[in-house]
Amino acid sequence: MSPWRTSLRSRLVVGTLCWVIATVAIAGWALGRLFREHVAAQFHAELRTHLDQLTANIALDANGRPLLTLPLSDPRLSRPYSGCYWQVDGFGQGEGLKGQLRSRSLWDHVLSVPQDKPADGEIHQHRIAGPDGQMLGMVERTIHIDDAADGKSRSFRLIAAADETQMTEPVERFHGVLWLSLGVLVAGLALAVLMQVVVGLAPLGKLRRGLERIGKGEAQRIEGDYPAEIAPLVDEFNSVLEQNAAVVERARTQAGNLAHALKTPLSILANSTGGLDDPLARTVREQVAGARRQIDYHLARAQAAANRLPGTRTALAPVIDGLMRAMHRLHAEQALDLAVQPMADAPCFHGDVQDLQEMLGNLLENACKWARHRVEVNAGVANGVLWITIDDDGKGLPAAQRSAVLQRGVRADEQVPGSGLGLAIVSDLAQLYGGSVSLEDSPLGGLRARLTLPAAP
Amino acid sequence: MRILIVEDEPTLQAQLAEALAAAGYVADRADNGVDAHFLGDSEPYDAVILDLGLPRMDGITVLRKWRATGRTMPVLILTARDGWHEKVAGIDAGADDYLTKPFHMEELLARLRALIRRAGGHASAELACGPLLLDTRNSRATVDGQALSLTSHEYRVLSYLMHHPGEVISRSDLVEHIYAQDFDRDSNTVEVFIARLRKKLPPDMIETVRGLGYRLAVPGGKE
Repeated sequence: MSPWRTSLRSRLVVGTLCWVIATVAIAGWALGRLFREHVAAQFHAELRTHLDQLTANIALDANGRPLLTLPLSDPRLSRPYSGCYWQVDGFGQGEGLKGQLRSRSLWDHVLSVPQDKPADGEIHQHRIAGPDGQMLGMVERTIHIDDAADGKSRSFRLIAAADETQMTEPVERFHGVLWLSLGVLVAGLALAVLMQVVVGLAPLGKLRRGLERIGKGEAQRIEGDYPAEIAPLVDEFNSVLEQNAAVVERARTQAGNLAHALKTPLSILANSTGGLDDPLARTVREQVAGARRQIDYHLARAQAAANRLPGTRTALAPVIDGLMRAMHRLHAEQALDLAVQPMADAPCFHGDVQDLQEMLGNLLENACKWARHRVEVNAGVANGVLWITIDDDGKGLPAAQRSAVLQRGVRADEQVPGSGLGLAIVSDLAQLYGGSVSLEDSPLGGLRARLTLPAAP
Repeated sequence: MRILIVEDEPTLQAQLAEALAAAGYVADRADNGVDAHFLGDSEPYDAVILDLGLPRMDGITVLRKWRATGRTMPVLILTARDGWHEKVAGIDAGADDYLTKPFHMEELLARLRALIRRAGGHASAELACGPLLLDTRNSRATVDGQALSLTSHEYRVLSYLMHHPGEVISRSDLVEHIYAQDFDRDSNTVEVFIARLRKKLPPDMIETVRGLGYRLAVPGGKE
């Protein structure tokens, strides 16, 4: 799709502008034509008035030559080269016949007219060259005058002409004003269209920002009032989000219920073997332990897989604080020194709070299990990545075993979840979020677990 | 030592009671939250084993109510819920330890011993008082390395005194901690147990504080 088709705004603007420009152009053309016709009609009406006056006032002198009994009223006809002219020609060959009688405005110029002889009662129009070389509009008619001397009827050709600029100038002026006004009109309409589009589409921009907030994890739903046209869409989207959250919550609850339902009978089974050491008791104990690992592993995966809601944002500090309180209690026997280094800028995890608790809880539990005296937690954000390191001063883990401990849960169908289940669950969870967990040597002497996760913006 | 077991699954409850009795504890049982709260609120338990998913009132609420009214006995949560958010919620509600099902009975007993010991301010699993040594891990008492042969009631009395050395323990206190709630109590039997213990222990280890109760003498200890 070309760029203007992909944007609703440019579609509206371009579409409306095309229509506005076409409409205004047609209107301008029609108005111009109407005005030109009107001016032309006026021009020719004036010429005819001159012609009629000429017709009314012409007579023959004693020699049978035409003569004006009264001067024509329009003063322009007397002013030389004023642009308004008249002329009386006789018919037939001979120099003297042309321009027998002329308006004073023609001075000594004789209008050169095409060969023509309008029938009685007809008026012909022509365009001819004027005294200054300008174009003149011209009307003519034929008249017959009875000569009193010999009783013959003589014919004359009466001509009234005027400079065409008298007609074209106002038309040009009008066109100038007309197109300027229409241009302003188009500009005004374009502005109106733009404003309408901007104002009309503003809720869509708000909607987009609302969605961005959800994407960034700053909101759980699209907030605010929306116009009737998109309100159903927003409501529908919100209810999908809510349903999604409800489904996740239900899945978690059901997984938890299933675990509870299975684990209590498993406890009873294991305990009923007591301290017995016969083959049946051993088998029961082994199978119960295996079943427990399977439940733990698959429960963790099921809950984690369901947790990937958009728009979740979890502050790190409260989660670590809560886990530290728990670790102090759960490992009270060891009297460990549990330290959380101060974090800059209150780092946030772009994901679910329970998943974060699960990952950090397992890592801290592992660190506390092996630590001699001290466990230290550091965290920060670098380039949109949240990193957390957990150090202990225990005996550490040989490099060769580190990847095995983490990878044990990669493919549940091929590899049975084993003793390092906690770390394998952490690794699985971190990978679901596009993060990772790695094990390194700790400056404290034991093991360092480094967890990287997407940071919330 | 008297323990409250709160567990709604009858078979598991019976197994717990059996294991605790074998380890020398007296156990009361509750199978719902409301009863559990009442018992924990009115009886002086030395520790509580608390399930979370309970009928009528859930375990976390029971625990919060106890802590809100100043009940400080150690509480071990025993539950199938093993999410860290649940563990944190349990600890924050006032639990002292958290064990997830399925569990090994030995581990439960070890954690219970540790809780009771820590509640009394003791650092080691072996409680010592002069020549007298009590190993809480296997419920054995020795004097100068010589094992004492004790009945379960005698062990409970001695264990309670050893957990509170130098303190004056009233007869009714002892009764509260060595008998289960539904037991037909007779405080005169306490005198019988004390008399038997005195015969087995070095002389003057158990003092009688007139009108108040008994006290385990701490050799060279503070008064």
